[in-house]
Amino acid sequence: MSADNEPLIIGFLCNWCSYAGADMAGTSRMAYPSNIRIIRVPCSGRVDPLLIVKCFQEGADAVLVAGCHPGDCHYNEGNYYSRRRFAVLRALLDFMGIDKERFRVEWVSASEGKRFSQIVSQFTEDMNRIGARKAG
Amino acid sequence: MEADFTSQIREKARELLEKGTVECVIGYETGSDGVSARPSFIYNPSEVERLVFDNTCSHNLVKYLLDKKGKPTAIVVKGCDSRALNLLLSEKQLQRDQIFIIGVVCPGVVEWGWNRRSEQFQKRCDLCRQHTPLVYDLLIGTPVTEEPPPEFTDIAEMSARATEERASFWREQAERCLRCYACRQACPGCYCIDCFVEQLDPEWVGIRIATGENLMWNTIRAFHLAGRCIACNECERVCPVNLPLSLLNRKLEEEMLELFDYRAGMSEDATAPLITFIKEEKLGIGE
Amino acid sequence: MTKVLGKKELESWLNSIMQERILVAPKRVDDLVLFTPVHSVDEIAFDFQNTTLSPKELFFPRTETLFTIVHKDGEIEFTPVTVDRETVLFGIRPCDARGIAILDGPYLSDPPDSLWAQHRDKTTLIGLACAKPAPQCFCTSMGSSPTDTSNVDILLTEVDDGYAVEIVTEKGEKLLQGAELKESDVKPSVPQCDASVPAEGIVDAVKRAFEDPYWSRLADRCIHCNICAYVCPTCYCFDIRDYKAGGKIERIRTWESCQSKGFSRIAGGYDPRANKGSRLRQRFCHKLLYFPEQFGPLGCVGCGRCVTACPVNIDIREIISDIQERGAQVGQRSN
Repeated sequence: MSADNEPLIIGFLCNWCSYAGADMAGTSRMAYPSNIRIIRVPCSGRVDPLLIVKCFQEGADAVLVAGCHPGDCHYNEGNYYSRRRFAVLRALLDFMGIDKERFRVEWVSASEGKRFSQIVSQFTEDMNRIGARKAG
Repeated sequence: MEADFTSQIREKARELLEKGTVECVIGYETGSDGVSARPSFIYNPSEVERLVFDNTCSHNLVKYLLDKKGKPTAIVVKGCDSRALNLLLSEKQLQRDQIFIIGVVCPGVVEWGWNRRSEQFQKRCDLCRQHTPLVYDLLIGTPVTEEPPPEFTDIAEMSARATEERASFWREQAERCLRCYACRQACPGCYCIDCFVEQLDPEWVGIRIATGENLMWNTIRAFHLAGRCIACNECERVCPVNLPLSLLNRKLEEEMLELFDYRAGMSEDATAPLITFIKEEKLGIGE
Repeated sequence: MTKVLGKKELESWLNSIMQERILVAPKRVDDLVLFTPVHSVDEIAFDFQNTTLSPKELFFPRTETLFTIVHKDGEIEFTPVTVDRETVLFGIRPCDARGIAILDGPYLSDPPDSLWAQHRDKTTLIGLACAKPAPQCFCTSMGSSPTDTSNVDILLTEVDDGYAVEIVTEKGEKLLQGAELKESDVKPSVPQCDASVPAEGIVDAVKRAFEDPYWSRLADRCIHCNICAYVCPTCYCFDIRDYKAGGKIERIRTWESCQSKGFSRIAGGYDPRANKGSRLRQRFCHKLLYFPEQFGPLGCVGCGRCVTACPVNIDIREIISDIQERGAQVGQRSN
């Protein structure tokens, strides 16, 4: 939770689809909450589980990974790997007390600016509802 | 049974060393307490009388083969340990033709510690579905019919608790962790030359032996074994502060079964689920 | 005559200590017995052989901040950490107390480690003599005994109607003021502990057996975890690193062990103790050769923790015997 008591969401967005999607949301003047801090990565398949766990350890309330839709990966198959990896990681984190809702993986294409803004708005709303995470 | 297994192991070890088939036989010997077993490395036929097999032989010796690369070695494996062999063979860490496998049909090992030995089977042995080794050159004992994979009631119990309760449970456990890395050192699946936890650039986990860092270590350690853990439970056995690490391992084992119908170490040419994919699959992610 | 503190009187004395100071005592946590700050006598475990981890942690915590640096208005503010609260450590065994005294060697010799010195200064040790040494114990072999008073401020020994009290230091006497002692003619029993580990002359034997292939054979079995170092009352190595958070730099030290892989790696990546045999040998050479050469006593007090905690039964008592034998053989050859 940040100083102003707003939920802190870290977003890992793939360069080719989701980051462009977020850009689209911006250039189209679609508003979405500033709770998300965006980190641009080459591919959702690049997102090491360490990054996710590190975010939670450092006090993030939620983490979003967004990549190209299955079948559209710029590197052909990166998101297929991340899909498996994060399905398992999510279950493990939930088992260890980090609610499933706090870790979300979404597919957002470069043209889906509106969808991106909706995802972030919904995510922020959900985090406001379930409240801050206790540190650790 | 024990005396018979012991004499068969000794006999084979003597033969292999005398013929020069192997340089070393890795097995078990009686420890300094005179009560429990410990790993044993036999290089000379005159030393084979040290070898024993009893119900305290719980160490998974397969890890030691990684120190013996390029040297013909014989090893005593139980059913569970043989899955570790398959894992390392499938990950191209071992050469099959360098290893002589003495497989033992294991009835289960008991709860024990230094100078203490109970008659109670270890919990993991109650859950075991691999008494007969999957891979061997010599099999000692009579193969048994294995039952289907067990249900983990304690995993279900933990999952049924409130999220915040689970979080505080693991925080309490992590608080106790000493970061001695015995769990990693004992694990046959942990063989990275540079473990993430000791990397300096980037420094993934700080060196503080404190709850946050410890929790991160334990989370990633478990995750790196997702679809690779073969349930020998060495990590939990060696932990000096009794962290319930098998809960994490078995949670992941369950996920692997549910999502990918996969159990680690069942064959030497298997592919772990997280290094492959099926395009059409639905995993509840991004849907 | 013996001074005796009845069980009830002990309780009220400990309660009064808790009012003013931190009382750290053995406590059962699941299957373990750990030294923990306690807030009531009920929390204290009295029937234990020894704690799972050694009490060195009170003086050399697993993680400790040494100082902080803050950059403010162009000035650098440096603040060393100080130990303020008085602590009483109750229930320390004579072997562990000796471990702490032994570590005064490296930590208090010039220049002294200020945090160790402060922890030592602020802590009073109430020893609890061993009624029944465990099978892994060998303190007597290492020059101490289950009732050794040398390194505590007060030693309590269980007797029928309470605890026989021996006041060893002024600090101990001060702490006991207000406790209701009575005189009794009860004589505490003196239990025996394993005295058969051949520690005498081990320094020379280790020196002679330094190149012995014994070490690499032993290292076959070692899995190189840090358990032995972390449970040991006399292992004192640490790692140091600086962390920055919100404009503040903190220098911390944490436990580290010669058994871990990167321990002796130096700039450029070279590791003079890269193989398993040399790492394992380092542990025993430090305890049985370098430490006594530098500071006098052997770096082992015979608490037996490493014996029971080692996952693969690397047993220091066995090693001492083996090395005596090997060293003697080498001695014969070279004569």
